[in-house]
Amino acid sequence: MGGSNTEKTAVAAAHDIELAARAALGERAAFGELVRRHSSAVRGLLRRLGADSALADDLAQDAFLAAFEQISEFRGEGTFQAWVKRIAARLYVRRWRRDKRTDLMADTPEPEMEPGLDQAGAAQRIDLDAALNTLSTAERLCVSLCYGGGLSHSEAADALNTPLGTVKSHVKRGLDKLRERLAWAEPDDQAGRHVHG
Amino acid sequence: MAELEFEARLDRLFAQAPFFPDAALFALKIDHRLERGWTVRRMLIGGLGLVGGLFGVAQVVSSGFLSRAEMLSAQSSKLLSQNLHRFIPLHLSFPDLPFGREVLGMSAALAAIALVLALMRAIEEI
Repeated sequence: MGGSNTEKTAVAAAHDIELAARAALGERAAFGELVRRHSSAVRGLLRRLGADSALADDLAQDAFLAAFEQISEFRGEGTFQAWVKRIAARLYVRRWRRDKRTDLMADTPEPEMEPGLDQAGAAQRIDLDAALNTLSTAERLCVSLCYGGGLSHSEAADALNTPLGTVKSHVKRGLDKLRERLAWAEPDDQAGRHVHG
Repeated sequence: MAELEFEARLDRLFAQAPFFPDAALFALKIDHRLERGWTVRRMLIGGLGLVGGLFGVAQVVSSGFLSRAEMLSAQSSKLLSQNLHRFIPLHLSFPDLPFGREVLGMSAALAAIALVLALMRAIEEI
């Protein structure tokens, strides 16, 4: 990703849609800038879906490579980040289904409540990631796909090969739990959070 | 209303990307993978082109194309020469020029092609 300082400045200042158009013409520096801008969001989403850090990074790389291959299909109707997130979410679901980790139709055991995070610990600030950890695998996956991955309920049902009603009920139960957990936290409690890759 | 507010808040929370200290390294890894993919692709295309070219040359040589092309060239040269004699009057034969009528004809043809190309370029520019 070499180039003069002027080119680098121009790439850094360009809008995502312009960068995508330039990447579609084979300009790798433009695509590199898109990766720099959005990789953290994609990696974060994959972790929220339930991937461990190594898998999340592998799938995020695959998602960006797939995005580069299909970049001419990106028309700028939504944001580039949302588009790559959808690719990443689908890749994760494909991997998840291949590994057959959980049958979504079955009732999955819910994680134990962390000690000290009951009403007595209401003052303790918890973030979205901690709240997601309290959901069952299916609830976490469905909520993250729909709210983080930007998939509709029916798209999530298709991707997971699960009845629409099942996805809706997992989302509803997940939202109820998240509402309860996040009610304790301040609305801006996510700022300045660091995740170590 | 509370439901909508909560969902909007959830959207905002999901939209907030966590900070990864190794983000630059991650971008570099993707660039390396893209570079590797391009190198493999270039080598594959080059290799297939080479194989195809060699196959084509082998086919041309084995079909006796070269001897036939030589014969056709000789015939067309003869025909061109005869036609030039017919169309160019004797007083325009430029007997003192250091080249023959064939060269003159070829030059005229090339000039005509160049003129057509220039015309096409001009039309494109307009």
